Amino acid sequence: MGSLARAYGKPLATLIALITVIWILALILVPLGAMVQQSLWWRDAKGSVSLTIDRLYNDIAVLELDQGNATDPAKKAAIEAQLAAKQAEVTELEAQEKNPPKTYGFANFTRMSSLHFYIFVRTIIYALMVTLLALVVCYPVAYVVALASGPRKAVILMVCLIVPYAINELLRVYAWLMILDYRGVINGILGWLGIVDLDNRGWIPFLENPSAVFLAMIYTYVLFMVFPMVNTLETLDRNQIEAARDLGASTVRIHRRVIIPHAKPGIAVGCIMTFMLSAGSYSVPSIMTRGQGGDWFSQLVYRQFYESNNWNMGSAYAVSLLVVCTIFILIMMRLFGVGLRDIAK
Amino acid sequence: MSASAADSRSAQLVLNIYVGLFVLYLFLPLAVMSAAAFNSYDYPSVTQWRGFTLEWFVALAHDQRLLQGLVNSVLVALGVIVVSIPAGLSGALILTRLGQRSGTMLYSVLVSPVLTPGIILGISSLIFWRQFGVAGGLFVAVMAQSSFIASYAMLLFLARLQRQDRTLEEAALDLGASHTMVFRRITLPFLAPTCFTAAVVAFLQSFENYNTTVFAIGGEWTLVTEIASRMRFGLSPVINVVGVIFVVVTLLAATSYVVLRGKPKR
Repeated sequence: MGSLARAYGKPLATLIALITVIWILALILVPLGAMVQQSLWWRDAKGSVSLTIDRLYNDIAVLELDQGNATDPAKKAAIEAQLAAKQAEVTELEAQEKNPPKTYGFANFTRMSSLHFYIFVRTIIYALMVTLLALVVCYPVAYVVALASGPRKAVILMVCLIVPYAINELLRVYAWLMILDYRGVINGILGWLGIVDLDNRGWIPFLENPSAVFLAMIYTYVLFMVFPMVNTLETLDRNQIEAARDLGASTVRIHRRVIIPHAKPGIAVGCIMTFMLSAGSYSVPSIMTRGQGGDWFSQLVYRQFYESNNWNMGSAYAVSLLVVCTIFILIMMRLFGVGLRDIAK
Repeated sequence: MSASAADSRSAQLVLNIYVGLFVLYLFLPLAVMSAAAFNSYDYPSVTQWRGFTLEWFVALAHDQRLLQGLVNSVLVALGVIVVSIPAGLSGALILTRLGQRSGTMLYSVLVSPVLTPGIILGISSLIFWRQFGVAGGLFVAVMAQSSFIASYAMLLFLARLQRQDRTLEEAALDLGASHTMVFRRITLPFLAPTCFTAAVVAFLQSFENYNTTVFAIGGEWTLVTEIASRMRFGLSPVINVVGVIFVVVTLLAATSYVVLRGKPKR
């Protein structure tokens, strides 16, 4: 802090510090805290309260009728007192009905139904599979782009990779929607070959199968694995590979002992990004399934917010997802022995 | 020569074929999507070809909701630039002056949004701003997106600041320049190219964003969220036309980026 003031002067340093603090508080930490807090309380919606209110209104109506008929002043006063008491009770209960008391606890987390928990676990497993498959598919590609081709070819390859990477993820999903749809490319070809009968709706319903989401997801996020690996592999001195080869190492051994150790930070970043994106993806499942395939966890979260209007439950789901992603990041960092600074390079 | 050379040549061939297939895998779906934009059939398809047409381009030009979405997207992206560039710059300036330990703490907090699933950033902003009576909409979308785009901007600034020659600033101070003058005449000009890059990156990230925006946008819409809801209900080749425009723009931008980036190397 002192060196900041020395370099830029007090007023400017204060401004810089202020902006950073606002960023941290208003955009990162407090919203996160608000979400966690929201996940920790709920309101008991008591149906019995509404019933009691209805009964009280009935009583009041009867009393009012009595009041109108009563002639004895003493009796009238008694009815009026009763009326006032009932009305006070109604006001209190209505306040409670509108704004039931908050209860704090972990019930939003433990109340997750078994179906939703199953979807939660399935989403994580699918995301892990997407990550693993992307890693296996991308490693050779990254190796070729970074090490095994001339500079000219590398540039062309980079363009070939950047273009699909930069195109909006929705459009990448949409392309697969067109391929797998009822009247999509694959069914079209099959129909042309006479295998399926499109005119009588005899198409194969690819979109009703969870693997459609899986396919589109790999396509959408595979490149987030390539670029971190290319970036780290580009810094590898090719002479090291030559030296290892001259010393008689086999290709497998060169990859295992020279190239992969060097690529570690890139592999870690690629895995973290791919996992995080696919576990938290809303775009791919919501477009690919159209409500017919199995749900992805992010869709449950969205519905809690925008359909059930249960923000507390939705927040609890979101926090669960965040916890899983954080654990995954920590495991990857430990596994590959990289720090946060290597990751964000 | 001989055995091992032939081995490595065939290995190279296998690798090349593999990469070729991979590139094909990346581009074929996009080609299918683009082709359907020119098909005169009101359901996006390439297998039922009814002849070449440009009618969907005309339809797009008359689609008020998509055009309004485009305007909203640009507004949000400009808002994100205004918020995230000063934030990212400030964060980077502080981090370069901090010691190892406190630096790492702050660094972890500031990059954490990059590693957080997008939907969570959208949700937490939505909840946070509702407490102030601000419902989901363009403003909340700006805030939600800025939380992680500012981190990207900060990383860009950090990389640039690492290459800064700090003695220049010190020399200016010794020669009697005021702090403001040093910042304005030395630090900012040094960072100017990065400011530009960061603004472009911020604009693109914001424009393309879906997973964060869809939670924060409430009843409003951006181009991307509107496209997404069209993809779910009511497919039309108009979406493919948007796709074609995205593909062409990206192709041009990526080519010029790689060419520009590749030049100083050689």
